[in-house]
Amino acid sequence: MKAKGKVWSMFMLLLITVVVAAGCGKADNNGGTSNTGGNAAGNTEGTSTATKDNKDIVIAINANFITLDPHNASDTHSISGGRTMYEGLMGFDENMQITPVLAASHTISEDGLVYTFTLQENVKFHDGTDFNAEAVKVNIARIQDEKNNLRLRKSFAKVAKVETPDAKTVVFTLSEPYNAFLNKVAMAGMISPKALQESGADIAKKPVGTGPFKLKEWVQGDRLVVVKNENYWQQGLPKVDSVTFKPVPENGSRIAMLKTGEADFIYPMPTEQVSEVEGQEGIAIETIDSTIVRYVTLNTMKKPYDDVKVRQAINYAINKEAYIKVVKSGLGAKLDSTMSSKTQYYSQQTGYDYDVAKAKALLAEAGYPDGFEAEIWGENDSETIKGMQFIQQQLALVGIKLEVKSMEGGTLSDQINSAKTPEEAKIQMWYVSWSPSSGDADGATRGLFSSEMFPPAGSNTAYYKNDNVDKWIADANKSIDPEEAKGIYANIQKTIWEEAPWAFMGVDQIISGKRTYLEGVKVYPDGSINILNAEVK
Amino acid sequence: MGRYALQRLLGVIPLLFVVSVLVFMFIHLIPGDPARLIAGKDATLEEIQGIQEQLGLNLPLWKQYINYMGDLLSGNLGNSIRSGMPVTDMLESRVMPTLWLTFLSMGWALVIGLLIGVISAVYRNKWPDYAGTLTAISGMSIPGFWLGLVLIQIFSVELGWFPTGGVDSWKSYILPSITLGAGIMSMLARYSRSSMLETMREDYIRTGRAKGLREYVVIGRHALRNSLIQVVTVAGLQFGFLLGGSVMVETVFSIPGLGRLLVDSILFRDYTVIQALLLMFATQFILINLIVDLLYGVLNPKIRYSS
Repeated sequence: MKAKGKVWSMFMLLLITVVVAAGCGKADNNGGTSNTGGNAAGNTEGTSTATKDNKDIVIAINANFITLDPHNASDTHSISGGRTMYEGLMGFDENMQITPVLAASHTISEDGLVYTFTLQENVKFHDGTDFNAEAVKVNIARIQDEKNNLRLRKSFAKVAKVETPDAKTVVFTLSEPYNAFLNKVAMAGMISPKALQESGADIAKKPVGTGPFKLKEWVQGDRLVVVKNENYWQQGLPKVDSVTFKPVPENGSRIAMLKTGEADFIYPMPTEQVSEVEGQEGIAIETIDSTIVRYVTLNTMKKPYDDVKVRQAINYAINKEAYIKVVKSGLGAKLDSTMSSKTQYYSQQTGYDYDVAKAKALLAEAGYPDGFEAEIWGENDSETIKGMQFIQQQLALVGIKLEVKSMEGGTLSDQINSAKTPEEAKIQMWYVSWSPSSGDADGATRGLFSSEMFPPAGSNTAYYKNDNVDKWIADANKSIDPEEAKGIYANIQKTIWEEAPWAFMGVDQIISGKRTYLEGVKVYPDGSINILNAEVK
Repeated sequence: MGRYALQRLLGVIPLLFVVSVLVFMFIHLIPGDPARLIAGKDATLEEIQGIQEQLGLNLPLWKQYINYMGDLLSGNLGNSIRSGMPVTDMLESRVMPTLWLTFLSMGWALVIGLLIGVISAVYRNKWPDYAGTLTAISGMSIPGFWLGLVLIQIFSVELGWFPTGGVDSWKSYILPSITLGAGIMSMLARYSRSSMLETMREDYIRTGRAKGLREYVVIGRHALRNSLIQVVTVAGLQFGFLLGGSVMVETVFSIPGLGRLLVDSILFRDYTVIQALLLMFATQFILINLIVDLLYGVLNPKIRYSS
């Protein structure tokens, strides 16, 4: 058996050497943290019953958090994560309407230039320092500082000065009226000035806000754990002790976690599995309309899409009901404007009901009685490919032969943005989605339809140019009266709908799954998760 | 052999330099602009240019390479383009899960694989051989993705014995390492079987038997040891692959390991993270190859390296 002993010692030698070799990641000393307990959520495995005996909840999501800096987050999950610990002067409710949060009230001057916020009193940051007007000023200065190059900077570009006449009043003066300003204010979480000074750039890892939860730990790629802020300024909230967010990229695994009770809430709930778990004991599915719209841009500067009749024909040729049934597993709504019904100033349009005969007639009128050949671009995930194949099949019926080109996201973005002028653009049709980051109509319109926003400056990949629409977008932006803005946006939507620079496809639904004992965790129409009112019953 | 090892180790340095150039070139040649991907869809051009400037992406490529090498030589892997976190921090938290997974999968795969291989060879064309072959072929042909989900369904959802994923306790590693090890176990079983069969036809085995050695001594000391060379080669290669993290297993079982980090970084063209990871993987591979070469000498004294 001596030989066997040698084999073993060689095996061990191999193991040890490799550990040392891999030690270049300095793993031996500190890496262990990711394996040790730290399981604030408590071990809920195997508890498939419909009750829960602690107030620690686990939420499984499909991707990692990137940053917890509320001024620099651009992905929805990072925004959700930030909002558990940070609050802005204003916030969003579950219909994406603006509501006051850290500002008790606000007034807007008649000329739309001066916004005066009166702050909530007796609000403290997690580090015990006071939230006051000075703190707001520090935060806005940080956002505006060019050196920081934060994602939120462009939202505050029109702020000329911030004044603090007393500790509970903040006055913003804008250089020109900005209709979506309150939406932007709602995106800016307030960071403790003391923590900002102490942590510097590390603030993205060590959030200190006024929110209902405080950071316990954030292990990149594994979990984010937040615990109840005992001194939260809103009485009686929060009602749970801790919340653990876990990135679980695989759909099947996320569902399994919900079934075993390892997760109390999962988002997104994969559409194809809704019917499987629906009605299962202890599990509930929640569905709401989102602000995410899906459409196909048609390059209006390229033949044959430069003819409005061709674009309208494409809209008539696609059966939107069938699209939702086939591609979206029945979970979605028809897109009946340029934006979702959950977006500010939405105005419903009618027309483009499925009509193959009409589509053919329009194509014939435009000089394409036998259709034409075309290319459609899209990303390479399975749902997008399915969507493009559906459109391909539908358009084949009116003689348009589509070639489906699916590309990886970064490559596709390069293809689109490498064209410096509309003439250079190779894009014909692009199947894509859009969601305005702060639920405002400007965010759902300007980047997509303003002629200043041709790639690479923006996302107007239809190369849509209409002087009226350009002017209206600017007017609406400067409008002070919400009713007036609403009217202008109604005009914009009607005009674009008629000119059809897009094939209008659908509005996504937000689908989440939860254990029935959990109440109050809400996914908002923009896909962000709100846990302020979370409660275990 | 000591001198040989040292020489080989020194030879790693120019190799790594070449790797660093290649990695840098290839990463920057893939289409896709990290600044644009980070800034998001509704970013303005000015914002994107700001990010490019901040990250030095607007500089000529050779300048970027010099900056990168300068940082690297002073031991600085830089910050992630996407999250702004130091790359070393990111690697640190991701290395351990992948290491554990690698050792556990490799450990059981080696033991069971060798066992099946040896038993199959000794009982050639008898039922233990057929059973072993059946196990090995199934292990090889079952797709890992599917196996993982089935294991979750049976052992987590139905029986509740193990968590569905994560890295919270040792229990979390059981199902992923079974999934990851299955294919490797099968491969090692097949290799060790054929290698053993070959060795057992050798004259010295017959001589051993003729001079009255006990069968376990013939098998254990002479046959097995001499057939290990091929097994060690295959195991070493697999080890290298596993240390790079398995995207499939890490995704199915939500393990924050290196494989997922690499894929996420590639999606966002997070150059600094990709570079650090690829360099690390290359180093690991080179070292493992060296160890395998040295092991040959231990296993078979006829193989000696002269400098």
